[in-house]
Amino acid sequence: MARHQNIRNLDYEAELEEYGAFSDEEEEELSPEDQVRMREGTAQVLEALGVEAHKVPKTQIEESLWHYYWDVDKTITYLISKYIDPPKKPAKTAPPKTAPKQDAAIASASRQSFAHLFRDLPWGNIPPERQAVLIPPPQLPAGLLGGSGAPPKMSKLQQLAAARKKKAEEKSASGEVEQTQVKMTELTVNDNQASKENRPLAGVFGKRVKISETTAQGRIPLTMAEPTRPEIPQAQAPEATPSQHQEEDPIDPEPAVAPPKAQPSAFASTLFGPSSDSPKRRPREVFALPYMAISSYSPDAFGKPSPDDVVLAAQAKVATAGKKSANVHNKKGSSSADGVTNQVSQLKIDDTPLPKSRNLNVLSEFEKQKGKKTASFVVVGHVDAGKSTMMGRLLLDLNVVDQRTVDKLRKEAEKIGKTSFALAWVLDQRHEERSRGVTIDIATNRFETETTSFTILDAPGHRDFIPNMIAGASQADFAILVIDASTGAFESGLKGQTREHSLLIRSMGVSRIIVAVNKLDTVNWSQERFDEITHQVSGFLTATGFQPKNIAFVPVSGLHGDNLVRKSTDPAASWYTGKTLVEELEASEPSARALAKPLRMTISEVMRTPQSSISITGRIDAGSLQMGDALLVQPSGEKAYVKSLQVDDGEPADWAVAGQNVVLHLSNIDPIHVRVGDIVCDPAKPIQCVDTFTLKALAFDILMPMQVDVHRGRLHAAGKIEAIDAILDKVTGKVTKKKPMIVKPGTVSRVRVTLHSKVPLEAGQRVVLRSGGQTVAAGLLE
Amino acid sequence: MADRRRINGPVGTTNPPIYDDAPEKQSEGFKVTRSRPANVIRKMYLKTGVTPSASGSAYLEIESSGNGGSGLKLSCSVHGPRALPRSTPFSPHIILSTHVKFAPFATKQRRGYIRDPIERDLGTHLETALRGSIIADRWPKSGVDIIISIVEGEQDRETSKAQGIEAWDTMNALSGCITVASAALADAGIDCVDTVAGGVAALVQDAGNDAAPSIVVDPIPSEHEKVLAACCIAYLPTRQEVTNLWFKGDLPASDMDVYTQLIEKGIQASKSANRVLVDCLNETVG
Repeated sequence: MARHQNIRNLDYEAELEEYGAFSDEEEEELSPEDQVRMREGTAQVLEALGVEAHKVPKTQIEESLWHYYWDVDKTITYLISKYIDPPKKPAKTAPPKTAPKQDAAIASASRQSFAHLFRDLPWGNIPPERQAVLIPPPQLPAGLLGGSGAPPKMSKLQQLAAARKKKAEEKSASGEVEQTQVKMTELTVNDNQASKENRPLAGVFGKRVKISETTAQGRIPLTMAEPTRPEIPQAQAPEATPSQHQEEDPIDPEPAVAPPKAQPSAFASTLFGPSSDSPKRRPREVFALPYMAISSYSPDAFGKPSPDDVVLAAQAKVATAGKKSANVHNKKGSSSADGVTNQVSQLKIDDTPLPKSRNLNVLSEFEKQKGKKTASFVVVGHVDAGKSTMMGRLLLDLNVVDQRTVDKLRKEAEKIGKTSFALAWVLDQRHEERSRGVTIDIATNRFETETTSFTILDAPGHRDFIPNMIAGASQADFAILVIDASTGAFESGLKGQTREHSLLIRSMGVSRIIVAVNKLDTVNWSQERFDEITHQVSGFLTATGFQPKNIAFVPVSGLHGDNLVRKSTDPAASWYTGKTLVEELEASEPSARALAKPLRMTISEVMRTPQSSISITGRIDAGSLQMGDALLVQPSGEKAYVKSLQVDDGEPADWAVAGQNVVLHLSNIDPIHVRVGDIVCDPAKPIQCVDTFTLKALAFDILMPMQVDVHRGRLHAAGKIEAIDAILDKVTGKVTKKKPMIVKPGTVSRVRVTLHSKVPLEAGQRVVLRSGGQTVAAGLLE
Repeated sequence: MADRRRINGPVGTTNPPIYDDAPEKQSEGFKVTRSRPANVIRKMYLKTGVTPSASGSAYLEIESSGNGGSGLKLSCSVHGPRALPRSTPFSPHIILSTHVKFAPFATKQRRGYIRDPIERDLGTHLETALRGSIIADRWPKSGVDIIISIVEGEQDRETSKAQGIEAWDTMNALSGCITVASAALADAGIDCVDTVAGGVAALVQDAGNDAAPSIVVDPIPSEHEKVLAACCIAYLPTRQEVTNLWFKGDLPASDMDVYTQLIEKGIQASKSANRVLVDCLNETVG
């Protein structure tokens, strides 16, 4: 609070006045003590200066004493340096008023310095070698530092800057010229100085520094007229070098001779190309045409296409035309405009050489052929009924298999204690089949009689291999049902696979069946037994749907061969006077072939052969094919071509028709697209892949909506019964009940089946439904 | 297990053809003598920017003396300045590493592929010579590799066996190395205080006047009866500094004058070489 009061009451003017008065007073005169000090100090200084004291005015002494606050030593030093012995510019600092008095000192000083200083100045008469020459600013290599003589690399930024700079230059080209001229005159004024400054910096580095300096100032650099070269160092002046050496040679050869530059050697000029200063030889631009002087030369001899070209062109034309017509023939099915465009695109795509088709009319060829009938039959029956053994015997008796082979097989069979299987091994060739003693997969073999050539399809009897049996049955024209006549075996068979097989072959469309009552020798050719079996089986078969005229019974002994090819010689069997099995087979008329229908063939085997990387076997279900035909493999939908084909017994053929077992060698297809069970068809009329279909099915077991396997030949697919639409009348086909919950065995119904994947199926095909290892139904696709 | 990663040569060995020397020339008494004045060096050809992939490069060629001996052909490439690998300790200035390598076919005696002591020695000398000229503290933490391959080392067929003159030839090679490396450094844009060039002077005893040994610059050993002493000098003309000095030979201990003279002559040779160097660089810049 007190401070505030003080400040508020402060009299500024008074304060300031007081201060000013004090300072003024101070300036005016010194205090008595100071005056005493001053006197003493001056005396001391004068004493110290001694002789030189007259050079310094007294006021100066006093002033400097006051300045240094009576420090006598400092004052003396100052005065000496200032007045008595000035170190630098003595001429300037020496005051002219004192000059007259000190003549001697000045004279000595000028003798030392001035002449030396101006010795080198030409005072206007500048010798030409010292005159500056203006050279344009050097074009520093644009781009990044270092590197080689190659064109400089520029960063993007640099390129941008360069472009901008160029533009600016174009704009102000004229103005700049004037500017530079002004600057040049400016430079010529201090020419001397510039050259002097630059001189120590000789050599390249001097030059570089110079360039950078001048360019930084925006001036044009100067260089000496004489070539730059390292200056002769002063250290090597004559007094340094021994005199004897001096007279021996004029130590510096440089001023006299040019730098000892050599021309590049042959090696160097090869490496770096010819040096720029050597005159380049221009290559001759005109070449004389050869043979111009020869009289037979005519310049337009090569104007036309050569004879070879003409021939080649004609050949190419013919070839393309032929190919076009062939492809048109293959695609005869489509005739619309779309078809035509398709054909055109097809022509371009398929440029790989295709197998040549001979364009035969297969059906007429087939009719012309006066050959034997072909027929295939499947041998079915309960397990261990002796199917394979009987077929083995048949083949042995027909001399298809020779005795030696059978003896060998018998020896092998004895080794594992199964002598009776020797004949069966003719057909059961797999290791697994032989060791287990059962047929697993269908075995095919062929034999010929006078009129017919037969294909045997030996089906497995075991219930586990029913799918294989279905595959075999689907290829057969008729069937041999083998029944074991020995006691007990027949009865078990009738409940087992005898029944199932006969149901299956019937539902597969086989109408002719020959019942071979086997092993009658074990019951001593008992006629009662034969009659009993005949009675039971015919009743059963008739119920299954076979017509009585298509059923034949033959008592046979498969092991011994009685009534197979030859009549039985056993007196006990003399009661049988009917045909032998082979005679029955020959009497059978093969079912009608669907020759005119589009091609369908189920693949039963895929293999590699020398002829092709992919060969397929199978029986042609319908239609015909010939070499060079295009085929469509379903369900993959890939196209293939028939490279070549073999019919029945492996004979190469040009064509094949329905009912024949063929081996097709395919081309233009990847093996992954061809699997067993796939269907080969005509690409013009392909089979559709479906996953839902309706089926008119004969139930063997109770049917209800359930999981089923759908079998068709080799093809089988998992699916389920989606719905049961109706129960039909067996004979008339009328709907008796709609939407039943279940279907009883033995009734015909219409069921809808959905498959998990798409499979090639079409109406009119026969399929078998199985569930849990049991055949539950068979039927016809609708 | 055979080495399959590389393309190996054939298994067997082959010997390079060795041509029989022609001793007749020597026996006829035909002796090549020095045709140049004592204070003039041979002509040389220098070119910079020969290796596109290097940051700087140069090629130097010193013509042969014309008596069947080979000339000197050097190629130098400078890589850098580049960052040192992380493993190396901090360095406040640029680290020079010099490699001098004779091509296997460069000299009469075939050279191996691994650097021999002479080549390593040359590398050390070169490094010393260059270190004086480079402004090393402008590039801390960086290194520069200077690689010189001697494509043709100068060695005379006839005399190489007769005298033990390899050391003198090595001196000539070193002076060439210094000059070419300096040019390559300038080409690489590495800051130097001055261009350094190498020069050789030798005290020789000629066949004719056997009394007085004389001093010549840029000696070719085969042209003289005997080389008593020689020195190779790397010299910065602007700064008047010697960055490397290699002296070899026998001199009378009493005569220190000869020693100085020899060095002065060496400096003079170096300056002559430097003029070619400056000329070459001027050509490149301007």
